Amino acid sequence: MLLSAQNISKAFGSFLAVRGADLAVAEGEIIGLIGPNGAGKSTFFNCLAGDTLPTTGSVVFDDIDVTRASAEVHARAGIGRTFQVPATFEDMTVLENVMVGAFLRHHHRGAARETALRIVEMTGLTRQSAQRARSLGTPGRKRLEIARVLATGPRLMLLDEALAGLTPTELQQAIALVRRIHELGITLVIVEHIMEVIMTLAQRVLVFNQGHVIAQGKPRDVVANEAVIEAYLGRGHRRRRRETP
Amino acid sequence: MLLAQVIVGGLLLGAIYALFSSGLTLIWGMMNFINFAHGEFVMLGMYVALLVVVWLGGGPATFGFAAAFALFVLGVIVYASLIRHVMRGPMLAQILSTFGLALLLRYTAFWIFSANFVSLPQVSLSGTLNVGGILMPVPQLVAGVAAIALTLGLHLLLTRTTVGSQLLAVAEDRNAAMLMGIRPDRMQALAWGLAAGSAGIAGALMAVSYPWSPSVGETFGLTAFVVVTLGGFGSVPGAMYAGLIIGLIQALSAYWLGPIYKDIVVYALFAALLWLRPQGLMGKA
Amino acid sequence: MKWSLPALAALLLFYPFILTGPFYWDIGVAFLLAAISASAWNIVGGYAGQVSVGHSMFFGVGAYTPLLFYHLWGLPPVAGVPAGMLVSLVLAVAIGMPTFRLQGHYFSMATIAVAELIRIFVGTWDLVGAAIGLQGPAVGRAWWDLTFRSELPYYYIFLAVLAVVLYTTFEVERSRFGYYLRAIKAGERAARSLGVPVRATKLKALMLSAVFTSVAGSLYSIKTGFIDPESGFGILVSVQMVIVAALGGAGTLFGPLIGALLLVPLQTATNTWFGGGGSGLTYILYGGIIVLLARYEPGGMHEWWQRVAPRLMRRSHAA
Repeated sequence: MLLSAQNISKAFGSFLAVRGADLAVAEGEIIGLIGPNGAGKSTFFNCLAGDTLPTTGSVVFDDIDVTRASAEVHARAGIGRTFQVPATFEDMTVLENVMVGAFLRHHHRGAARETALRIVEMTGLTRQSAQRARSLGTPGRKRLEIARVLATGPRLMLLDEALAGLTPTELQQAIALVRRIHELGITLVIVEHIMEVIMTLAQRVLVFNQGHVIAQGKPRDVVANEAVIEAYLGRGHRRRRRETP
Repeated sequence: MLLAQVIVGGLLLGAIYALFSSGLTLIWGMMNFINFAHGEFVMLGMYVALLVVVWLGGGPATFGFAAAFALFVLGVIVYASLIRHVMRGPMLAQILSTFGLALLLRYTAFWIFSANFVSLPQVSLSGTLNVGGILMPVPQLVAGVAAIALTLGLHLLLTRTTVGSQLLAVAEDRNAAMLMGIRPDRMQALAWGLAAGSAGIAGALMAVSYPWSPSVGETFGLTAFVVVTLGGFGSVPGAMYAGLIIGLIQALSAYWLGPIYKDIVVYALFAALLWLRPQGLMGKA
Repeated sequence: MKWSLPALAALLLFYPFILTGPFYWDIGVAFLLAAISASAWNIVGGYAGQVSVGHSMFFGVGAYTPLLFYHLWGLPPVAGVPAGMLVSLVLAVAIGMPTFRLQGHYFSMATIAVAELIRIFVGTWDLVGAAIGLQGPAVGRAWWDLTFRSELPYYYIFLAVLAVVLYTTFEVERSRFGYYLRAIKAGERAARSLGVPVRATKLKALMLSAVFTSVAGSLYSIKTGFIDPESGFGILVSVQMVIVAALGGAGTLFGPLIGALLLVPLQTATNTWFGGGGSGLTYILYGGIIVLLARYEPGGMHEWWQRVAPRLMRRSHAA
């Protein structure tokens, strides 16, 4: 197991955002994480990435216990993440943003710049590389975040709704990008609401509701699962099964 | 018995520290914003009291209310014209905004009132009470008790009234509050008014017993920082206890080490707090 | 702006021969000193975004140690400069270590409190002259006492130091350290997620800034031959550094220079116009400028020019 999170809980005062969530990711997998808004997915991600200290549970990455380690240590160990609301460095250019990521693996500007240029090209941001991040729209910012974290040379990437708000064309490009990232050997855990993304990319899906995992399995099986439908649509809703032709 | 007197005096002044610091911590907790001009609000309250006494010949109630009202208005104006715009911007702009405001208020006061120390002309409160051998000047006693009452009042306002819960809702979760129909902008303006107003009235209470000049704003501002750090981020009850403690420590330092050391000890305590227990008494770690 | 760098260097080098005489040389020296201090502040306050409003503590330490070395041991004041730098370094660590793991406000509050603490304390300590302060050699015993009658030698010494500070800032800007500083300012949380060692980076920035500020203080006291708690550790010293950097453009290489260029002549002018009450009005003006900057143009003149220049270019092309 590349990443093993066990019994993760996070309490904010008396409110339990995450309760006893588990996640096991083998190297090279693409895992999808779905669930209604407020189910605790982002908080769970924050615990995995070291952004938040879990109240209980453990996170083991590559046989190292990173449960209480800071986000910086997580990043250096090889866990990268993007943010649900893009947190790009607004006043720095696209290239500079990516270079910050690249500097994790290169101490010298020249090498960092080379890596950054390569990744900017790979993510299709070459045209905007000299523009300030604040001039990009949200899709551009999301792509920049992916490029930036890619430059850190991660082994595992946690993508938090990185493909939201895209036009159909952009979505296809983004899916292709995620595939390319996967082909580089990077393990992925993706939080998404867009079913197409989950169905086409994810090998395994976890469903979050009210802070813990309520279902797991192959994408097709999970979306037909009663508990999952109930989670999204509420109890007592008459089920309509969509027949696939 | 001199020591007991020093202790009482320190606590009475500390009560006033608690009053003006509670406003600062309210803003901090609510908007994650530190007002570097808070000490100047206190200083201005003192001058408002002076002007009311000199021009209108009013008594403590009059100039107290006037100081509270005038500073409430100033607080709202400062929020609406300045704070609202820099709040969401870069940290540099946020800190510079009230830091610049502090300079502006302080040096304008120097220009208008000169650097001379002034005090309030003899007010109706005078005399000294003798309680068990401890001599307590009536003005300081009344000021201290009033300060405690007002701080408690602020705390009750926040925790027991509808308006208070609306303020706290905005502090807790701005977006959720908006969804409930609360206007964060209005609540924040109100918070600034309350914070400035309580600073103003604290100033008026202090003016009763202590001489001052425009330079005191700087010291009060720093004292407020120490009090809110000791009390804990955003905690009005914390500020209350911390204010009393700081007043006490200050008085004892002056007594045992000398008057010059009263501020040194407080600032050194601040540095120690940052090292050892930055969350203060009631803040979260 | 690349062509203007040699022009700027030439201008600064030959200024004393373009505008001659003690009056202009005095302004020149004041300009250089303001530029050095503001550039030093800029490293931690502008680039890293950690707003210190108590930088006078480093300035004061740097200003006191040379005159202390002279006062206590009869050494040339210059000998005290490294000691000042060392003490400033220690001070930087003492303040940075606890506060850089907390939210930004704590650092700012701490800087102002510690500066005040030191100012008051120094005012009571007889060893360092208490409220009266310290004086340097009235008449130089040898050249290394650096007591020159004319402003000219000071001008060139200050210019050399400014060149060092600017060059260091330039190198920092291009380095990994510099990118990390800017990332921290732009978004600490995101920076952390990319492996930036936030606390250590902030601390390094503060230490570098402290050392340069200390040197600025040393230059000041060696030139003036006098220091007291107010002129060393007073809040107005801190204000000056912040406003010069912020007005020109905090976080840019030449921002502090631009700010000094605008403010030093302004200060000289207001002191002349307003006469005795001058300093009071000057600081009302400073306060007003800072508030306006914060409200309308936190990026300073540099940012303003970046916004306005393209429009001006377009107009001149259209015309």
